[in-house]
Amino acid sequence: MWIIGVLFIWNVAELNSVYRVFKKKHTLFEDRFTKTMCMSISMISSFVLALYIQLLLPSNPTILYLLPILVGLCIGWKLGSLIKAPATLNGIYNGTMGGIMGMMLGAVLLNPALCNIPIESEAMIVKNMYYLAIFAALLHALISKLIRYSFKV
Amino acid sequence: MYADVWIILGLYSYLRKVTTIIGFQLGMNISVVMGGMAALLSGVLLIQQYPFHFTLITVVSTLIGLIVGGLFGLLFDYQTFVTGLTNGVIIGLMSPMIGTVIEMPTMFIIFMHFFFVLCFITIVVSIKRS
Repeated sequence: MWIIGVLFIWNVAELNSVYRVFKKKHTLFEDRFTKTMCMSISMISSFVLALYIQLLLPSNPTILYLLPILVGLCIGWKLGSLIKAPATLNGIYNGTMGGIMGMMLGAVLLNPALCNIPIESEAMIVKNMYYLAIFAALLHALISKLIRYSFKV
Repeated sequence: MYADVWIILGLYSYLRKVTTIIGFQLGMNISVVMGGMAALLSGVLLIQQYPFHFTLITVVSTLIGLIVGGLFGLLFDYQTFVTGLTNGVIIGLMSPMIGTVIEMPTMFIIFMHFFFVLCFITIVVSIKRS
């Protein structure tokens, strides 16, 4: 479990750095550029964070069950509110979409019989979980690196 | 499945020629649609063929969506590149799950190919018109 915790902290730090760059430089670019970047980063980061939250916390109480969607909504709102109102709508939509999808993938990884996936033993489930979590973290790192590179140019 | 690969390659080589007359709006839509469709088709078809390798197939279909969306986006602009890449990644992570839960695989695959051909015809018509 501690691997997923480390990945969670890494991705939150990366999202924070992207958000700071956004806040500092969003007046320099035109609206379309900012809208595209908002869409991409809110979608992928809410997906990854919702996946980690679903894997880390137990989903028995109702509040924890809805937490990944709320995280996605907050990320989309914060990133979208940097520019005008239509971008807020765009950010909220993409963030909530990513949150729902990440929750779904997390639920399937925790319980593969939900999806008729023929994985039997407990060790295989844990191994699959680690592989997919590391892969998602690498994808998040790639996309945020691309976005930071695009702000430099 | 191999026919789909050839259709995507053919559209790519056709778009390389006419890339100067397409505006950025149409370019963004083309990269999103092609990356998403490539990821969806590869995920569902691969999980139907090899149902015992869930993790590997998720990784492979994500990479396919990433590469196809990125290549179609690189024809136009940097922003279309990032948009197509992100969309391909999300749909590629989702598509093997759809492939495992469907009840009637043959009908679903035929319907998906119908949808793909419809998207393809729309793209070609809008390229001709622009």
